[in-house]
Amino acid sequence: MDAITVKHLTKEYRLTKKGTGLTGAVRSLIRPQKVTLRAVDDISFSIPEGEITAFIGPNGAGKSTTVKMMCGILKPTGGEILIHGKNPAKERTQVVQSLGVVFGQRTQLAWDLRLGESFELMKHIYQIDRGMYEENLKIMDEILDISQFIDTPVRQLSLGQRMRGDLVAAMLHSPKVLFLDEPTIGLDVEGKYAIRKFIKEINRQKGTTVILTTHDLGDIEQLCKRLIIINKGKIVEDGALDELIDRIAPCKNLVVEYYDENYVQHDKAQIIGRNKNIVTYQFRKSKITGAGLICDISDRAKIKDATIQETKIDDIIRIAYGREC
Amino acid sequence: MDRIRYYVDVTAFQMKLAVMTMLEYPANFIGWLLSNPIQFLVGFGTLKFVVQEFGSINGWDYGQLAFLYGLAVMSHALSMLFFVQGWFMGYYVIEGEFDRFLLRPLSVLYQFFFTQFNINGLTDLIPGMIVFAYGCKAVDFSWNIRNVVSLLVILAGATLIRGGIYIMMGTLSFWTKSTNDFAGFTQEFFDKTTMYPLSMYPRAMQLLLTYLIPIGFISFYPAGELLSGMGSGGLLTMGIGVGMILLAGLFFKRGLRGYESAGH
Repeated sequence: MDAITVKHLTKEYRLTKKGTGLTGAVRSLIRPQKVTLRAVDDISFSIPEGEITAFIGPNGAGKSTTVKMMCGILKPTGGEILIHGKNPAKERTQVVQSLGVVFGQRTQLAWDLRLGESFELMKHIYQIDRGMYEENLKIMDEILDISQFIDTPVRQLSLGQRMRGDLVAAMLHSPKVLFLDEPTIGLDVEGKYAIRKFIKEINRQKGTTVILTTHDLGDIEQLCKRLIIINKGKIVEDGALDELIDRIAPCKNLVVEYYDENYVQHDKAQIIGRNKNIVTYQFRKSKITGAGLICDISDRAKIKDATIQETKIDDIIRIAYGREC
Repeated sequence: MDRIRYYVDVTAFQMKLAVMTMLEYPANFIGWLLSNPIQFLVGFGTLKFVVQEFGSINGWDYGQLAFLYGLAVMSHALSMLFFVQGWFMGYYVIEGEFDRFLLRPLSVLYQFFFTQFNINGLTDLIPGMIVFAYGCKAVDFSWNIRNVVSLLVILAGATLIRGGIYIMMGTLSFWTKSTNDFAGFTQEFFDKTTMYPLSMYPRAMQLLLTYLIPIGFISFYPAGELLSGMGSGGLLTMGIGVGMILLAGLFFKRGLRGYESAGH
């Protein structure tokens, strides 16, 4: 079953165009020039229950706007969103009962009080019964080890600890869908590792559907089967990460170091560079495997070293961003 | 019914958190505890000077003025406890602070006012009660059941009228998209119009503050009722208070439709 269905979703903002300088300021006061900005432009997709999906795109692409509409913060200009069959724009209080939301740049924890008080507050807001509350806290403590700072005031927590606290607060009421807006932003290596481990474990143990936006490609590589790339308000890619890599970068490079300047030609690989005894071949992944190519070459000449170069995921994403649909 | 029990439960816990937060910063509370009463007691002292010079203000003697002043300050204190956020709604709108409220299964307006009780506001209650007690003694106010009930109804109604007006002013920021808060202006305006007899202002101003913005019903008219022992027993103030809150709620709901969060 689909956890989320989005059909022809559109969001427009009305902005006042500002002129330059004092004259411009006065002019736009007297006769404001309104322009319509289409932040999200007729997008449709659906997300099955229990899937981890990443929304990525350059800054200002419309991904935050899309996520904010999905969790009911913003009202769409057009189109429809259904979360487990319910429309967040119409049945807000019912929809949010089954949502957990974490904004990486903002906290929902009570700043001046010990972390545990914020958890207690969630218990009242979502009317979580004691059994479920304690069980959830126990499960999450095992993954995130929050008990070591649960008695510390939130204002004294490190960013990584605060983020872990925010994740726990969002999951205490066992929501079916978890939205994470840049959950690893600004975190150190260990912090990122903890957050990713948590997302994976929660998804596995509770079958939670997870939607995350991120600029961190490590998040995508380690967490997501599915990737939705948004640019200029439209979906430019939607699919599995490895499919995207195959499509955008169908070739790999093989760099071979020979003992002398006698090198080998291969009918399934093209030589794209040579520097004395170092030769770079490019081959299509669909035609031959890297191992096969090395085998063939080493049958015919003595080789010292061989390295396979893959297109970096950064480059692949950059190519996808640059593409218009 | 379940809904009411739910809101009461959350409210009780939020109050507990507010007290705990206050206890985190005792010096801050003590600061308010000293400065707020002084502010109003000095204001009242000035009034004494005016009355001494002119005998009375618009037919109100010093005891009656104290009664009015105290009544106004007490409902001001209560409105600071529950509704002070209304003064800063512009900030919440522009900074996207409503996002979190929209994500919780509670009314947005409820959360806006009740996620942070401003316990410090209660420090205003002290000068209010002192001056009011002085006024009661001076006018020989009789503490019978009817008067006590009327007084409580008036305080509740007056707090709602103030709250309603704060909400409506704050809601304007959904359209103006400006963080300008009306805090200073609002306090000044309400102080000047509720602590002194409305009858000393020009006729047009009186009509405005009776029919258009019902500030007169916060303290001036109810004080007259209590002092004369006649009138609705505070029910008029209460009725207007409930009406203002309902109207403000509708207006806020309309404003919230235009909420655009922050950053896209």
